[in-house]
Amino acid sequence: MGGLTRALAARAVQALLVALVVGIACFAMVRLLPGDMAFRIAAGRYGIDLVSGAAADAVRVELGLDRPWWQQLGAWLGGLIRFDLGVSLVSGDPVVDELKTYLGHTILLAVVALGISVLVGPPLGAWLGARAGSAADRAGLVASAVLRALPAFVVGIGLILVFAVGLGWLPAAGVGGWQEVVLPAVTLALGLAAVSSRVARDAVAAALHAEPAEFARRKGLPEGAVRRRHVWRNAAVPVVAYLGVQLVALIEGVVIVETLFAWPGIGHALVHAVVARDVPMVQGTALVMGLLFVALNALVDLLTLLIDPRRRSAA
Amino acid sequence: MTAARIGWALLAAIAAFGILGPLLAGDPLRQDLSATLQGPGAVHPLGTDQFGRDMLARLTHATRLSLGFAAVAAVAAAVPGIALGLIAAWRGGIVERALVSLADAVMALPGLLLVVLFAAFAPGEFLPLYLGLSLALWVEYFRLTRGVAASLLARPAVEAARLFGFGPWHVLRHHLLPELAPMLVTLLAFSAAAAVTAISALAFVGIGLRPPTPEWGSMMTELLPYHAEAPLQVLLPGLLLALTVLGLQLVAGARR
Amino acid sequence: MVGRIGMLYYRLMQRRPLLAFALAAPALARGANAQPARVLRVVAPWEIGGLDPARSGYVFQRMQIAETLVGTDERGALVPSLARGWRLLDDRVTWRIALRAGATFHDGTPVTAAAVAESLRRARGGPGPLAQVPIEGIAAEAGEVVLRTARPFLSLPAFLAHSSTVILAPAAYDAGGAVRAIIGTGPYRLTDLLAPQRLDAERFAGWWGVAPAIERVSYLAVTRGETRAAMAEAGQAEIVTTLAPETVARLRRNARLSVEVVPIPRTRAVKLNASLPMFADVRTRRAFSLAIDRAGIATALLRSPESAATQLFPPGLGDWYDADLPPLRRDLAEARRLLDEAGWRPGPDGIRAKDGKTFRATLRTFSDRPELPGVATAMQAQLREAGIDLQVAVMNSGEIPAGHRDGTLEAALFARNFSLVPDPIGTLLQDFGPQGGDWGAMGWSDPALVAAMERLTAEPDPATQTQLRRRIAAILQAELPVIPVAWYDYPVAFSRRVAGGSVDPLELSYRIAGMRWAD
Repeated sequence: MGGLTRALAARAVQALLVALVVGIACFAMVRLLPGDMAFRIAAGRYGIDLVSGAAADAVRVELGLDRPWWQQLGAWLGGLIRFDLGVSLVSGDPVVDELKTYLGHTILLAVVALGISVLVGPPLGAWLGARAGSAADRAGLVASAVLRALPAFVVGIGLILVFAVGLGWLPAAGVGGWQEVVLPAVTLALGLAAVSSRVARDAVAAALHAEPAEFARRKGLPEGAVRRRHVWRNAAVPVVAYLGVQLVALIEGVVIVETLFAWPGIGHALVHAVVARDVPMVQGTALVMGLLFVALNALVDLLTLLIDPRRRSAA
Repeated sequence: MTAARIGWALLAAIAAFGILGPLLAGDPLRQDLSATLQGPGAVHPLGTDQFGRDMLARLTHATRLSLGFAAVAAVAAAVPGIALGLIAAWRGGIVERALVSLADAVMALPGLLLVVLFAAFAPGEFLPLYLGLSLALWVEYFRLTRGVAASLLARPAVEAARLFGFGPWHVLRHHLLPELAPMLVTLLAFSAAAAVTAISALAFVGIGLRPPTPEWGSMMTELLPYHAEAPLQVLLPGLLLALTVLGLQLVAGARR
Repeated sequence: MVGRIGMLYYRLMQRRPLLAFALAAPALARGANAQPARVLRVVAPWEIGGLDPARSGYVFQRMQIAETLVGTDERGALVPSLARGWRLLDDRVTWRIALRAGATFHDGTPVTAAAVAESLRRARGGPGPLAQVPIEGIAAEAGEVVLRTARPFLSLPAFLAHSSTVILAPAAYDAGGAVRAIIGTGPYRLTDLLAPQRLDAERFAGWWGVAPAIERVSYLAVTRGETRAAMAEAGQAEIVTTLAPETVARLRRNARLSVEVVPIPRTRAVKLNASLPMFADVRTRRAFSLAIDRAGIATALLRSPESAATQLFPPGLGDWYDADLPPLRRDLAEARRLLDEAGWRPGPDGIRAKDGKTFRATLRTFSDRPELPGVATAMQAQLREAGIDLQVAVMNSGEIPAGHRDGTLEAALFARNFSLVPDPIGTLLQDFGPQGGDWGAMGWSDPALVAAMERLTAEPDPATQTQLRRRIAAILQAELPVIPVAWYDYPVAFSRRVAGGSVDPLELSYRIAGMRWAD
């Protein structure tokens, strides 16, 4: 299992790099934002009507925002080693606690979205791949191209207008039950399935005419067995590998989709934290998003190794 | 390749709209609060928006803005990406390892995250958007260039050129660029699509360009509440955005 | 996180099984919205920032989980809430407040004068408006709460209606004085808080008032106006507040909704930095005001022609509104004349200039109130016609007071609530004092105005009070340190599944306790 260890070690190094880059970059960038940080925090804390110079001064003293920047950065990086991400400048709660809540929601959304896209995309693609060149295949190509061209928020708005406003089947926003997960997850899943179905279609079309399959047919193996043994498994490798590429779309989509559907996840929290200049929250959310991305990629690595035994020894 | 031809045709049509349109259409900022959300008519061929501004004028200006932005962003990512890729392959050793690690670290971060942070840094400004996109997208160019350059440098002709003292510039112009060109079209189209999508997405989460700048994403979000009264006005910017991305993807995809 | 997912799983199990959805999606059309447990769902744009009453007390107050001592009636007059009554002693500085007999906190402990005094002391220490009141002491004496002010301050009870002064049980605070739980006294008891998005509450059997008909309630923060409108249309909430103006007409046509639009004492206004040469001259401020097409903005963008402001105070504010005051209007010719007269001459691009300096200002505004960027964009085009170049910067709301303090603010558009404390004097003291105010005058003050406000806080005679209020309104109208643009309509959508709903014009309560299920 040398390949496995090496893959995971590379991901671990990547995770460390993410932590360092996010830690320093976010801090520098948010520090350089125009305007007075204490006022932003006070506005978030007390509401627009109650923000005043006095409230901002109280905030400045309370949070030590007048310390030199390197002391604040040093404190944060030191905390990072102890996995102490500090306290949200807006809510006053530990960032770690808030992230737990947000992360739970984001993982739920991402898992449901991935699940839907895996259930829809590859099977549909495989079905089309088996009929490459047919009218259905060409329709699939057009549908996939159109879906990929539509940004996530346009798809989401369309779904809200049809399923929440028009038909009234599902909630337009919120959190709590399963109904609320459906629309945001489908928004993300559509974009993912549009790509994975094409990858699966090409892989199946290729594997159907690849040498092992042709040889098995010539051996006289029934078509069902050929597909089971030679086509599906070989086609699965690029599909799973492509999952890794798609994760970027998933994570980026989360930022937009969570904002649109008022889904209290990491992406939503990130946008809020940036607007409120909540330095520890910006760092925390960006860090978690980066680490989530690395973790999901590691998962894809594992999956690829499982499906394709050749790589286990070759790597 | 028909797909690529459709893509180029789409892009050409949109570019013509964005380049010639502003010369013919009126002032995209001129308001008329007594004629808001009008349907298509003689005075306003595509109707008016919620401020009574001419939709046609706004759409052409928005198209010009997005295409210009995409072109600059793609180049801003390509130039450092190619340069660093070449340097990594040329120098090797520590320099290469450091650059590869840097690329890995950037790859480990979702690109939009970088752009969001940069955009929040100076809301309404173009420069941070370019910087963020450039920082997120250069890696693709870097990896491609480094890969191609590494195999090129091993070739006898190039090795000879190096021995004769020709610098990286010579290698870039005479050996690397011709080799890269076809793949570069794919990457440029890909990063232009990413740039176009990114600014509309940023306008959507509220960190985009300042009003009253005509821009597809902010036009859509601003007009969305009026979807029942003026569906066409909401649809048009989205349509242009989708067609542009589609055109770029067709051009990029066909080369793969 | 395990607990969070466990909870989601639990909620999932409480509702319909997934299979039923897959098999009968169309049949679910209305079923998905039916509530087995009948929760009244409130949707509003404001996120729950935490437990501190200074921060998010208004959510707990509006959801009737926590109560203040003083409330307001339909006309905005002060009425007893958790207090049974109050009186001012003859020394004119001592207030005695009697409490409801038998009132208890949600943890079962009785509401004592000592507990209330302690809660008020904590509110006084925070950043809320109570800090504006010259309070000398808060004590519990003979079962009553006693407040002493340094000088006569007649509007004190109004300050006790503010959400930062909700009364919480002693057990709600930790050793350091921070709020660790919302243990209030209202008809609803908090059961679950998922900050910043959502809270759940259930009927509290021990409430001192008439037991409410609705058993369970929830609050969901949805910041996007378009999404709120969609939720109302789709029947995913019983009360949806602060609708975006452009969605109101659409929702009105929906047979399942009843939309109420109530004018509230809030005004959208522009503050100008009068210490800048371009705004120091009252003629330029008047020209600025004369260039604004309020009727166009109110009609086309706010969808409410009657909300075009003719003066700072809206008609709902009693005798603060003076019907005889000459109304603000648009007159481009007069605006140009005033600018010419003040020495600002149009340049080749139409933008005016004086002494080599162009008439260019950056207007800061924010999008928490969804209509503000649109109003700013409209004003930008209108002012350009008069030769004023206005740049619009949509930013965080905190940049307005920040810019006020560091002097970098040039102009700002916002919506100011004059019933922040039910008596507008509370807001005016903050906004138009000798130093100006974060949300009021900048680089401008008027001794006559300050004197009138000072007198009003100690003036017991209603006729003289009216006179003083009119004088204040007249000075502000003539000097225009802050330029009114539009008054505020507060639109709320109620589902027809509930009955008895009404809108509190002072935004102190969603009035759920008086509502019932219609079917």
